[in-house]
Amino acid sequence: MTRYDRLQTTFCGVKFENPVMLSSSPVSNTGEMVGRAFDAGFGGVVFKTIGVGREKIVHPGPRMAGYDYHSDRLVGLQNVEQISDRPMADNMADLSYLKKNWPEKVVVSSIMGFTKDEWRDLAKASEDVGADMLELNFSCPHMTVEGSGMKVSHAQALVGEFTAEVKKVTGLPVLAKLTPNITDITETARYAAEGGADGLTAINTVMAISGVGLDDYTPRPNVAGKGAMSGYSGPAVKPIGLRCVAQLAQADSLGLPVSGCGGIETWIDAAEYLLLGAGTLQITTGVIHYGYRIVEDILEGLDFFLAERGLHGLDQVVGKALPNLVPTDQFDLSSQGVADYDLDRCVGCGQCHIVCQDAGGQCLTWDDADRRPVMHEERCLGCMICSFVCPVATPPMITYRVVPGKPEILPPPSV
Amino acid sequence: MKPALTMNQAMAEAARCLLCHDAPCAAGCPASTAPDVFIRKLRFRNLKGAAKVIKERNVMGGVCAVVCPTCSLCAAGCTAAGLDEPIDIGALQRFIVEHAWEMGFSPLSAGKPNGLKVAIVGSGPAGLSCAAELARAGYQAMVFERLSAPGGMLRHAIPDHRLSPAFLERELEDIRALGVRFRLETAIRTQQDLDSLREQGFGAVFLATGAWRCATLDLPGRPREGVTDALTFLMGAKERPKELRHELAGKDVLVVGGGDTAMDAAVTASLAGARDVFILYRRSFAQMPGSPEEKTLAMDAGVHFMILTQPVGFETRGDRVTGLRVVRTRLGEPDSGGRRRPLPISGTEHSLPADLVVEAIGLSPDTSIREIRSLRTDEAGRIQVTAGQRAAADLPVFAGGDAVRGASVVAKAVCDGKAAAAAIRKELGR
Repeated sequence: MTRYDRLQTTFCGVKFENPVMLSSSPVSNTGEMVGRAFDAGFGGVVFKTIGVGREKIVHPGPRMAGYDYHSDRLVGLQNVEQISDRPMADNMADLSYLKKNWPEKVVVSSIMGFTKDEWRDLAKASEDVGADMLELNFSCPHMTVEGSGMKVSHAQALVGEFTAEVKKVTGLPVLAKLTPNITDITETARYAAEGGADGLTAINTVMAISGVGLDDYTPRPNVAGKGAMSGYSGPAVKPIGLRCVAQLAQADSLGLPVSGCGGIETWIDAAEYLLLGAGTLQITTGVIHYGYRIVEDILEGLDFFLAERGLHGLDQVVGKALPNLVPTDQFDLSSQGVADYDLDRCVGCGQCHIVCQDAGGQCLTWDDADRRPVMHEERCLGCMICSFVCPVATPPMITYRVVPGKPEILPPPSV
Repeated sequence: MKPALTMNQAMAEAARCLLCHDAPCAAGCPASTAPDVFIRKLRFRNLKGAAKVIKERNVMGGVCAVVCPTCSLCAAGCTAAGLDEPIDIGALQRFIVEHAWEMGFSPLSAGKPNGLKVAIVGSGPAGLSCAAELARAGYQAMVFERLSAPGGMLRHAIPDHRLSPAFLERELEDIRALGVRFRLETAIRTQQDLDSLREQGFGAVFLATGAWRCATLDLPGRPREGVTDALTFLMGAKERPKELRHELAGKDVLVVGGGDTAMDAAVTASLAGARDVFILYRRSFAQMPGSPEEKTLAMDAGVHFMILTQPVGFETRGDRVTGLRVVRTRLGEPDSGGRRRPLPISGTEHSLPADLVVEAIGLSPDTSIREIRSLRTDEAGRIQVTAGQRAAADLPVFAGGDAVRGASVVAKAVCDGKAAAAAIRKELGR
């Protein structure tokens, strides 16, 4: 297995050979599975969330539903999976097994208690079997057991209280895993910080309904004739994950490192999370779609990304896009532009013309004989929707060109 | 037949479509099947709507999807070719039609009966499309077919590997469901036949008798055995496939000609177990009139292409062919048709042994139709029509398909059938 020196990092005081971890989910369900993920290249794991076992955990069947877009499979994934259904002792034994056999990998124990006692017991037990860190699951959106998961985040004070309980009994670094299903994720984060959290993980899954059966009128996944609003993940939620990570990373006076997750499949996704402030990364849906081998190209791609910029480590990347992330009221509205067409490369489909007519500034007419769009730049809004639908996309044939002193374009009243 | 696309494959192919503003595919379909519309409907998961568009515009939409040379029709102008490859429009069309069949969705329905009767002569694609259009408008459409089963060339000449009888039968089912009726083994050839139709109350007649006359090699000493025209060969292959396998086992076959019929004959011979099958063509590969799809099919079947090779005589033993005398050619100046003329190269004459020679050098309309008064035909036997497929000034007689065009594609026959139906409706006022 290739080692990437540039990708070594320290997060919450723990050394990682690379920042890519499995997130707490079916992909980190057993020691045997995680061992293979480590061999494939993952730098660490957040193990499947462990409870004390007071309440019997039963996974609904079926427990997931894929969301497809046209012929692309699994653009999103909805699940109603619960925390681990295995005995606590077996899970603890697996954590121990992993630390013994892969000492250089980071093992994070994800825990979920229902009472302060349980949180303490789980934290202590995890530390005893050699876990490097703890992740407190305050955010599973579909626990079938009352008073757990995301419901904790909604009673925000509990986030602080449970974090504080955990910190009382352990010296391990503690991450609070947050839900995006809340008005302002930084508020929950502040409670976690007050409770003594050393870092944050964002995002847990987005509350969603991935589909409804048209024959049975049942939302998906269809669990014996019923569906539920539950956690949605995968590439479809990446923009939400990026937003939440950036909010946490930018929040004044929070100052906690963030482990980022939500829809990471490629090194490009990974780099985006890093640039917006994530110090480590976590993946589940990408593995559910492609297997553990997905990590190979994330690591190699990130390494190339750093190498071609002459960067020596992740600290030269993490958060570097944040200065360019501003509220919209800080935009320079005096800078305006137009769509610039390289018509030599145009294939003549006319989709630009259609969308400009129906959604843009009606600046494109159509030359029937040449089968090419004709640009009337004085009406171009510079909205660029034409470039989003243009099939000549690599590299794009339609690009944005700033026009200094461009006059304001306001459509006249319709007559 | 090629395997059909799965739903996922169809959706992936539809997703490649650029949904053009001015779809060149639509302009390229002689039958106006509107590929731009049905692909967009498929893309947006309106599969019933897609099937409706195809069948409303082209009752032979299933068959066309399978047999059309799309490379030179709808797909010829496909904008997606500017990015990678043209959309496989035929495969998508077939998927939509077959999906509707599987779902039991029939988009067409018979019109309210208007009490008018129209006779359609010939049950190939031209006749069928005319009959179906009229039935949808409430006419009683009666199709007269000289052979024992409907479908014309589709039934009797297009090989099973391109169009399975079951597939054709399923499309015919849709047409029968409209109330179109068939009178089989009933030839309409003469003025007397036509008069009889009028007496039976048929208000108009559409002649769609096809192009069933096969040209033969104009060479001396044609033996009686071992030489056959392509149509006879193909019809025999469909009627008696087992006998053909027996006859061709281990034999060598020479197919003369470069069109789709030649390809069909060659592939049929190859699939039937012939040892070596040759296509003899006097011009070069690029001048072959066969569609790229058919040429590829022939190459995939292991057919040997003997281009720039022209037959000059038969070789015989008794009444039986033993081969062809051939000469190599090179291409000279273009002829009147614009194709470069083959010029024999002296001193290259040699023999090609064969057990069977198949002549596939052209199809033309049957001349027996000339017996009908007021009908005019050209030197190739093609019925002359004016606007609206009108074939006789003084009688409500219309004509279309290969009988008018000479051997052509199914989609054009469909186009003629539709045009004739429209003209007949205008003529009869319903």
